[in-house]
Formats: sequence, C-alpha cells, structure tokens
Amino acid sequence: MSVPNIVTIRELSKEYRQGEINVTALNNVSLDIAQGEFLTLMGPSGSGKSTLLHIIAGIDRPTRGVCRVQDIDLTKLDESGLADWRNQNVGFVFQTFNLIPVLTAFENVELPLLLTRLNAKRRREQVNTALELVGLAERQKHLPRQLSGGQEQRVAIARALVTDPKLIVADEPTGNLDSNSAQEVLGILQMLSRQIGKTVIMVTHDPKAAAFGSRSIHLEKGELTN
Amino acid sequence: MTTIGFIARNALRNKRRFILSVSSVAMSLFLLVTLQVALRELTNPINDEGSTLRIIVRNKVSLAQPLPARQLATIERIPGVAAVTPFSYFGGLYKGDEKFTSFAQFAVDPVRANELLSDAKVPAEQMKAWVADRTSAVVGKMTAERYKLKIGDRMQFTGQIYPCDLEFKIAGIYEGTADDRNVFFHHKYLDESLGNPGTVGTWWVKAASAEEATLITDRINKAFANTSAEVRAETERAFQLGFVSMWANIKILIGGISVVVVFALLLVTVSTMSMAIRERFRELAVLKALGFRRRELFAFILAESFGLATLGAVFGAGGAWCLYRVLDMQTLSSGMFVMFEVTPQMMALAFSIAAVLGLLSAAAPMIGVARTSVVQGLKTLD
Repeated sequence: MSVPNIVTIRELSKEYRQGEINVTALNNVSLDIAQGEFLTLMGPSGSGKSTLLHIIAGIDRPTRGVCRVQDIDLTKLDESGLADWRNQNVGFVFQTFNLIPVLTAFENVELPLLLTRLNAKRRREQVNTALELVGLAERQKHLPRQLSGGQEQRVAIARALVTDPKLIVADEPTGNLDSNSAQEVLGILQMLSRQIGKTVIMVTHDPKAAAFGSRSIHLEKGELTN
Repeated sequence: MTTIGFIARNALRNKRRFILSVSSVAMSLFLLVTLQVALRELTNPINDEGSTLRIIVRNKVSLAQPLPARQLATIERIPGVAAVTPFSYFGGLYKGDEKFTSFAQFAVDPVRANELLSDAKVPAEQMKAWVADRTSAVVGKMTAERYKLKIGDRMQFTGQIYPCDLEFKIAGIYEGTADDRNVFFHHKYLDESLGNPGTVGTWWVKAASAEEATLITDRINKAFANTSAEVRAETERAFQLGFVSMWANIKILIGGISVVVVFALLLVTVSTMSMAIRERFRELAVLKALGFRRRELFAFILAESFGLATLGAVFGAGGAWCLYRVLDMQTLSSGMFVMFEVTPQMMALAFSIAAVLGLLSAAAPMIGVARTSVVQGLKTLD
C-alpha cells in the first residue's frame, strides 16, 4: 500500500524583482512528498531550496503553480488563513534558532500554544512532552543565553513539535552547530520522522546532514536536477 | 505564561531604556499638568462665599481714575444696597527695601468694610482696636506669618501710586478669606495724608441678596449716568474676569509651551517604540511564522506602547496630583498661588494625551510589521 502524499507541488514558479532585474527563484518545479518522509533539499546558494521550503511552509507565495499541503491549496488562503494553518500544521526550525531571548525554554516552547484554546494545564503537559522528547526537560527554566547552541536548537525543535504538526520544516538547522550538536539535532529530526511519523523537510548544504534523510533532492538555478 | 506576561517581558527586556522612556513621559506630563495648574491659578479667580453679593463700582473711564467721595450717599440710597465702603488700592512698597510687594494694601472704611468682607474673620477686640485707631491696619494671616508680624508691630509703606508714605500699627490679623494676604487700613488716614482730595479708588457694595446683585449694578450705573464721574458697576466675578483678560498672552504662552511639551513627548515615544520594534523585527517574523496573525502582533505593539505611555502618565500626572496635595504651595510661592490644585479634568487630559501617544507611537512600528513578510523579516537581521 502506497503512503499518501502530504505535499503535492505542480509547476511551481517563483519570481521576484531585485532592483531592475527579474530573478527566477523557482522554475516549474513539480514534487511529491510522502507522509512521514525525511526529505532533504540540497543545492548551491541561490538555487531556490529555501524559497521552496518557505512556500511549502506557507510563509511565502509562489508566482505560479500549485502547492497543496495536506490537500489544502496554500495559494488560495489569505494572510490570516495561512497564519492559522501554519500554527496548526507546520513546525519551524531555523538555522539561527530564533528563540525569544526574554523567555525561558519552557515559555519559548509554549509560545505557539498561546494561539490555541488549551488551558494552562494542558499547555504545560504538551510543553513537557515536547521538551522530554528532545531531552531538555531539566532545562525548561533556562533562558536561551544559558543554553548551548545545540540545546537552543533542541528547544526550537520542541517548539516546532508542541502543536503536534504533521510537517516540520528545517532551514539549515545544523548550520550554526558544532558536529556533535549537529549529530544530536539530526538524530532527533530522524527520530521524529521514523518513530513518530512526522514529515520533515530540511534544507542543507551538508551531504553528511543529508544522509540522515530518507530522500534527497537537488535544486540548481530554481530547477530540480534529480 | 500569559499573553500579558509575554508583553511585559518584551517591554522590560531593555530595562534602562524602559525606565528612561517612562521617565521622559512622566516628566513631560508632570510639566504639562503643572503648567495647566499654574494657568488655572492665574486665570481662574477665586470665589469665596461673599463674592456673589459684592459689587465693585469704578470710574467708567478707567480703573485708574478716582471717583468723587460724595457718591457714597447716592449709592447708599439705592434699593437693595446693604452696605458700601470706599475701597482704594494703595499699592505701597513695604519697608521701602523691596523691589516688589507681593500683597496689596487697601484703604477702606473699617466699619462698613466689616459688613462687606464677611469672610474675613477678625477677633472682636482686634476689630474694636482697628476701628478706634485711624492709623492702624489689619493684616492677612499669610502676610503676618511671612514677615513674622504681630499685633502692635508697625508697617511702613512707600507710596507708588499716591504721593505719600504711610505707617500703620497692626491692630488685628484676619483670616478666612480665599486670599489672606492683604492689608486693610482707614481711608480717612489716606485722605489726611493726601490733603483730603475727596476721592476714592472704587466703591465696594454689598447687595442684600444674590438675586438683586445684577439689578443693583444697573441701578448704580444709571444713578451716575451723565454726571461728571460716570461709573461702571459690575459684580466681583465680572470685575475679576476683566483682570483675567489681561493674562491673555500668558495663556497663549503656557498653551504654546504645553503643545511643545506634548510634541517633544510624541517624538521621544515614537523613537523609543520604533527602536524597540526594529530590534525585534526578526522575532516578530518568527511569531508570524509560528501562526501569530497581524492583529495579534499589532495588539502586542499597541499594548507595549500604550503601557509605556500610561505608566508615564501614572507617574507624571499622578505624581503631580500627589505632590501638590502634600505641598503647601501657598506658602512656598509666598502667596502667589493659593489653591494649586490638580483637577480631575487635568488628570483626564494627561491620561488622554498618554493614550493618544500610545496609539501614535505604535502606528509606525505596526505599519512596518504589516508591510514586512515573514521571509523579509527573517532575512532582515540574519
């Protein structure tokens, strides 16, 4: 039995203006991503891999084409609808962690849950579960500056997980980490895909990082090369 | 964590800037309230309980022109007049060694004035002594305290308007009026010193009832119409407002300073909020990515800006309110300010300005956040 697709992309293009020049970031990209897959997007700088990730995650819009995630055509959603959709369906992991410096690890993870109707007790339970999953239950009262880079990124993964989204997008999550921390973070992402069934899409330059994925695709000049 | 807690954490992340910003709003609003209080004090005549009954009669040509003393008998006969006294402003310089005397001296008929100035309380024996000695005077309690004067002391005045110097023996000290600063002395003493010119500065008339006061002013004006000394009779309130109109430029000046204060305050708050939000542009983009909608981000910015301005108003306007309740401004200003009271209207004005400041200073950051996409926001400070 085939695994259903969580992402369906058809003839997707993205163009934008940079001063007087029209830049084509993506050109007629078509792609299917199966549920539970750990897909890595590779390619040189400016190849369009981050743009593709942003469109799949609903934080950028294509110029042409279709991008369906969980059978929802993201191009049809307005700003507010996209925000709601992101909150419920996507977890973000950024290269620079992007934790709020004045909030503790617990509060950073709790942040997406403030948009839900969960009461404080339920929120606490979910945050604890997410932090335990990334092995940081004991560090929940630490501020980001009191954590190492690897720990910060694990908190960011917990924040991405806390709303229990089907899709986790990671934009070069190991780019700012030493090799040990990178291994830990990649291990967690792999575990989320293999054991919990999350679909993980990760942008990376690093072939070693890409090896953690179940499938790897390459982009060059806005087009898929394999 | 609650949403309010999150907003508070953000507002307090740079504590020094927060304290300085709140202080600048507080200081500006304190200054604004103080200016409003001073303006009110300067332009709002004090009304005591007798002021509704008192009528001031002056020369129609000008306040500086004297009136003939013979008018007394005519005024006394006008229906509704309960009492009348000559009332001449002496305007002397106390002790001759001061450049400016902060209290007025008036020549009156002591017995008649006693009926008119019913708010002024003078002990009976002191009143008796004043009436009996035409070179004596009664002094307001504030002036007596300021110059450490007591009964029996002598006060010397150098005439600035009238060509004579006067010396009084203090027969009594009065209190109970809204402005216990003045000195009252015998008109006869002034007349004698001037060689009995047969003139008075003004007449002060007491109406039998407040309802009749307006009618009496008309009757007095008509009584002296087409005479060599036509008069202008008006209620004490109207007379005081005539003086107030002379403060017009001061009002404009204080109003102008107030506008400048508010404008400077706006610039400071807008700059602070813009700085605070610019520093967090990427964080706001992250919040957008996590699912926070524009309106929620607007609410965060607005609440932070509004909170900062309101806290400034609490400290500034509230501080002024507390301070002027505790301080005895009458003593501190040597009687220049009597009430110096922060009114609810002034508090409302200060808080309204703070609210508008909060709104306006949030506008620019909100526009910035609205215009910036998540991707742009994430790239901004990467």
